[in-house]
Amino acid sequence: MITLKDIHVSFGDRTILGGIDATLAEGRITAVMGPNGCGKTTLLRCIGGLLVPTEGEVLVAGQPVSQYTARELAQRVAFVRQQAQTDFEFSAFETVLMGRNPYQRRLQNESQEDWKIVERCMRQTGTWELRFAKPAQMSGGELQRVMIARALAQETPVLLMDEPVSNLDIAHQLDIMRFLRTAGKTTVIVLHDLNLALHFCDDVMLLHEGRLLYHGPIADGLTPERISTVYGVATHRAEGQVIFDF
Amino acid sequence: MVAGLTVLLVLVMAGSCLLGAVDFERGEILQSPIFWRLRLPRVVMSVLVGAVLSVCGAAYQSIFRNPLTDPYVLGVSSGASLGAAVAILLGLEAVLWGVGGMALAAALLTVLFIYRIASIGNRMHTTTLLLTGVCLTLLISAVISFLMVLNQEKMDAIIFWTMGSFGSSSWTDVAVLAPVAVVGIAVVLWYGRDLNLLLAGSEAAQSMGVEVEKVKRVLLLFTTLMVAFAVSSCGVIGFVGLIVPHAVRLVAGPDNRKVVPYSMLCGALFVLVCDTLARYVLRPSELPVGSLTSMVGAPLFIYLLYKNKKSY
Repeated sequence: MITLKDIHVSFGDRTILGGIDATLAEGRITAVMGPNGCGKTTLLRCIGGLLVPTEGEVLVAGQPVSQYTARELAQRVAFVRQQAQTDFEFSAFETVLMGRNPYQRRLQNESQEDWKIVERCMRQTGTWELRFAKPAQMSGGELQRVMIARALAQETPVLLMDEPVSNLDIAHQLDIMRFLRTAGKTTVIVLHDLNLALHFCDDVMLLHEGRLLYHGPIADGLTPERISTVYGVATHRAEGQVIFDF
Repeated sequence: MVAGLTVLLVLVMAGSCLLGAVDFERGEILQSPIFWRLRLPRVVMSVLVGAVLSVCGAAYQSIFRNPLTDPYVLGVSSGASLGAAVAILLGLEAVLWGVGGMALAAALLTVLFIYRIASIGNRMHTTTLLLTGVCLTLLISAVISFLMVLNQEKMDAIIFWTMGSFGSSSWTDVAVLAPVAVVGIAVVLWYGRDLNLLLAGSEAAQSMGVEVEKVKRVLLLFTTLMVAFAVSSCGVIGFVGLIVPHAVRLVAGPDNRKVVPYSMLCGALFVLVCDTLARYVLRPSELPVGSLTSMVGAPLFIYLLYKNKKSY
């Protein structure tokens, strides 16, 4: 379970998050939605312990994230970032193997068990065939799936994903989202596709100007009124889908 | 591979001890003070310095996620050069560790200043660190040039120092550098896996369990100390710390758990061979080892790049 207690984040005079309170239940997929610059990534970074809020605190499994060591937190929370970064030529397999770091001791080589977990995660994300590929030999979408596999290899109960499917084609978007539905993890995922979110997520956190406009079941949350408030576009709902009024 | 390189290094060290301005009859060498007081400490120093520079280069390239980073990027070499230049101008060459001591003090002060500028609270801003290092290096180079123009009679001594040489290496130098090198290299080896993860970016590394700021601080502390002690004992030997880790990566891949130990051995071997050539080719004169490391290393590295390109 993740608890957000009055999260404020400011950079200088600019307020990014202005008091977010929420409790994210175990095993549910929560979409974080809102326009660019509304604080979605900042919120994820706070939950992942990568950014200390100006005020308030984040609790994961009942304990403030600031009280975990990096290693302890990495056994509980995995983070898929918006942009995959790799500078030196690690293969896809070696990249995913890095996800096992929180369980390894220094100077200890990876075990057979680690290798099996990596293979499983790569098969789940459809990247096993790419295991020998270097970053330069992969497309943006393939690299993104490798990063998702790396996060899965951390075997954490909580998964934070910042636009993880934005580089993927429709088939792979659906594959990843279907997998997340069966994974049973507490997932907080930043998405821009309203219908993808509506179909695969349980809850939604709608952010508007650094504040939480709505948090609850997604089917109730994505109303034309709220979408209009948050994104400034007109929509209507038909057959469970959000339809844009062009 | 580590065992093979170690055996090769020991053999080359033995061979290097046999070569020099003076030839020995069989069995005579072990009785000679030239062997014990000049050649052996010189060989050991070249091995230590080569290992230190290569290991620090490998570490810096991962910490800064920049393949062009070398051990001198933080201004250690320029600080040391300024210290050495001032010591030479003050006539401290005859004093034990007069030049080396000044070089070490100036190198550490320079880096301390740069760290101070780049620290924001508990965090180290690596881009600021790099940029400050580059700026300060340029500034100090200008100051050294100015000092040389004002003191032209000492210009040769300053230039020779900055080009690097093991010509005056002694057991005292070994005794000063060896403990720092052994502890420092052990620390870098200890953090080998963390260096791999840092290549994925600071936030990615942290989310995979690396205490990023702590690891960076510890590594920067020990690598800086190693480089400062190395430079102050033998001057600036360029190219090694930049190229050896890359050459190793081309052969062994990017995993720092291999890159660091292989770089240590290959760097030691490389500097040892270059120094042996430097003192043997034009004997009894000597070439500056720093220029030889570039002359030998650059073509070798270009060949490796070309060979690697063909394998794609």
